[in-house]
Amino acid sequence: MEISRRDFVKSSAVAATAAAVGVRPEPATAQTPKKGGTLRVGFYVEAATMDPHLSGSKVDRQVYHNVYEPLVTLDTKLGIKPGLAESWSQPDAKTLVFKLRRGVKFHDGTEFNAEAAKFNFERMKTEPKSVRKGEVANVESVEVVDSHTIRLNLKRPDAALLATLTDRAGMIISPKVIQERGAELQRNAKGAGTGPFEFVEWVKDAHLIIKRNDNYWNKQGGPYLERVRYRPIPDDVVKLQSLQTGEIDVIDYVQPRDVAAAKSDKNLVVVDVPSLAAFAYQLNHHRPPFNVKALREALAYSVDVEQVVKSVWLNVGVPANGPIPPTSWAYDKSVPPIKRDLAKAKAKLAEGGQPNGFTVTMTTNNIPINIQEAEVIQAQLREAGITLKIKLVDSATLLSDGNSRNFEMISYQWSGRPDPDGNIYQFFKTTPGTSLNWSGISNPKLDELLDKTREVSNQAERKKLYTEVVKILQDELPMLYTVHPIEPKAFSPRVQGYEPIPDGMMRFKDVWLK
Amino acid sequence: MGRLVAHRLLATLPVLLLVTAGVFALLHLTPGDPIDAMMAESVDATAKEALRRELGLDRSIAVQYAAWMGRLLRGDLGRSIRTGEPVIENVSRRIRPSLQLALMAMTVSLLVAFPVALASAVRHNTAVDRAGTTFALFGICMPNFLLALLLIFLFGVTLRWLPISGYVDPLEEGWAGVRSLVLPAVTLGLALAAVITRTLRSSLLDALAEDYVRTARAKGLSEWIVIRGHVLRNALIPVVTVLGLQLGTLIGGAVITEYVFALPGVGRLVVDAVFARDYPLVQGVILLIAVGFLVSNLLVDIVYGWIDPRIRVR
Repeated sequence: MEISRRDFVKSSAVAATAAAVGVRPEPATAQTPKKGGTLRVGFYVEAATMDPHLSGSKVDRQVYHNVYEPLVTLDTKLGIKPGLAESWSQPDAKTLVFKLRRGVKFHDGTEFNAEAAKFNFERMKTEPKSVRKGEVANVESVEVVDSHTIRLNLKRPDAALLATLTDRAGMIISPKVIQERGAELQRNAKGAGTGPFEFVEWVKDAHLIIKRNDNYWNKQGGPYLERVRYRPIPDDVVKLQSLQTGEIDVIDYVQPRDVAAAKSDKNLVVVDVPSLAAFAYQLNHHRPPFNVKALREALAYSVDVEQVVKSVWLNVGVPANGPIPPTSWAYDKSVPPIKRDLAKAKAKLAEGGQPNGFTVTMTTNNIPINIQEAEVIQAQLREAGITLKIKLVDSATLLSDGNSRNFEMISYQWSGRPDPDGNIYQFFKTTPGTSLNWSGISNPKLDELLDKTREVSNQAERKKLYTEVVKILQDELPMLYTVHPIEPKAFSPRVQGYEPIPDGMMRFKDVWLK
Repeated sequence: MGRLVAHRLLATLPVLLLVTAGVFALLHLTPGDPIDAMMAESVDATAKEALRRELGLDRSIAVQYAAWMGRLLRGDLGRSIRTGEPVIENVSRRIRPSLQLALMAMTVSLLVAFPVALASAVRHNTAVDRAGTTFALFGICMPNFLLALLLIFLFGVTLRWLPISGYVDPLEEGWAGVRSLVLPAVTLGLALAAVITRTLRSSLLDALAEDYVRTARAKGLSEWIVIRGHVLRNALIPVVTVLGLQLGTLIGGAVITEYVFALPGVGRLVVDAVFARDYPLVQGVILLIAVGFLVSNLLVDIVYGWIDPRIRVR
């Protein structure tokens, strides 16, 4: 369900601007961190499962990143740094070798080693209910080289795999817990991870508690907090008020409409966390009107993305030039978002055989911010002579309409992946049958480029390839991109030492309470 | 009495059958697919197909319904598609806060409605009456979510007397639990109080105009005894009807209140389950809500007989 708007906005948010990063809780170095205390966290919904291999819900990851650890992790610039793996190397394009950290124990006391890692990869690939199959599909086999070295043999080169392993697919669960607990792991993750916090209890619909792991392998910095208590609070207004009254210390997301007020509240600290996400509309290439390229262009020239970001998002986001967010190393700021140009739009309408405009139906989520965005776009299109009909649906209907390509123009919100591949390949590569390529785009030159981005491992070279990809996407228009949202999080001033990472995950290892 | 209950319970069976079949058909006809909703970001069609087969979702609607019915007859409501948790566990966990909230809301509504309606009826066409009617109108017009947010703002944020969200079980933690339910109970209770006030006021006025009331007064009974002994009891029937209808709604339909106050009740459960197209869970909750309505209707019938002996069934 990660593409529901809330999840998606939650994962995302573009700090984008340097100024945004300036407003964060004081860096931990300003004072000496203090041990102890319970951090009370309010999320919009509770976790769905404690088993990372079966998890399809974004909020689960918020807990996982404190309890479990992936082989590699992200830094604030989305660079990849060691996690459970001390180092890695790539002898050739189809082999990835990880040197695993020694002296790491799972919370149940068993040792983390190469066998444990291999066990996890095999479970992801074979467990019937595994949601990770697609992410590790390129891993042909996993070999144990020695007690703390594993080798992944890949089916084909996959430059994005390392970034994929910074999240659920790279998290290692205690094999003993998996074998002994089976399906019960979904509700009880006691002893299962290696992270700075241990799972304590999860009372469904009420709270989930984790506590400090005093035997954590990394002796630098935290964990400082005694406990973290997660609580679901579905209503955004009430969640923010709970923070203001001190019932909780942290919230995962502040709605754009509340950001200004929250920032002016002296008892709150608001942090604009950069995001990986994008709001866009898939345009159906196999159905009128958007089977005609000129009409897709007419649409793009009629929409004023900057105004959408300003009036709908209240600048809690930045205009998008394509699928790559400004937080990514692959973002090329020399490629501007498509500018509104009504004269060009008219010309394209004539070229597409519809000089007087046309009517098109937009399918979108029945959620306030989506509706507002749809209405602003509707007004903008009207000026170009294009009539937009808005069809509001719930997210399950949206998914089924998209998967069956039963739409003309459909809202698509992607929570984003650290590597650009995750935001691009599966959407634009020619794929028969059901896929995330809802637009149905099939462009040989694009296909070739996309495969190349996976084969080349040099980052600078990949960036050049992605710039070419973005330019083709702006020309072919399988999707019309609007915004990379910012994901503001808010804290009580007691909370210190939080470091925002653009994947939106709240890692509490170095967080402490004043 | 025993025969009445048995008779009524038997009569509910076809209703339950119709409700479950109707919900089942509607759910499956609604666009959207539980597996797609669950694995939205996965492109692995074979994995989705395998999961669909494992959960039996690849069979025809009729076969799926028969299978569900068969399990139900053995007392098994199945498992949630999304979380794998047995539906019965999920539902029984959620029914507690819903029932507690419904009872508290009803208590609030009765505590407010009786004095207001009595004052209105006794002081008919005076300023007191008009104030009472205005209050009732206000309560009926005020949307739940707005009242909830205003209450939160006043008692939670400004005065800080009560917690503004979350649920603590009063049966386990006593006072803290009651406090956690006060604001939502008042939110629901005031709206209900408004309906009851109006109903009770008009039935009180009818009763006050009856001959036996004049007779009672003529005998020299005090006004209070007249009202307590002759008026109130005769005016209660419509109120019991309203309460009975509302009890079911309070249990299954307090979605917005549950949402705003972050209460884990049945209303939110069924809405979330519908959005996820979690068929077995939706079926389970709807079955429960339907049973709740039938039971409260049965209670109403029993209470009728107790209030007014003329209604007792032969």
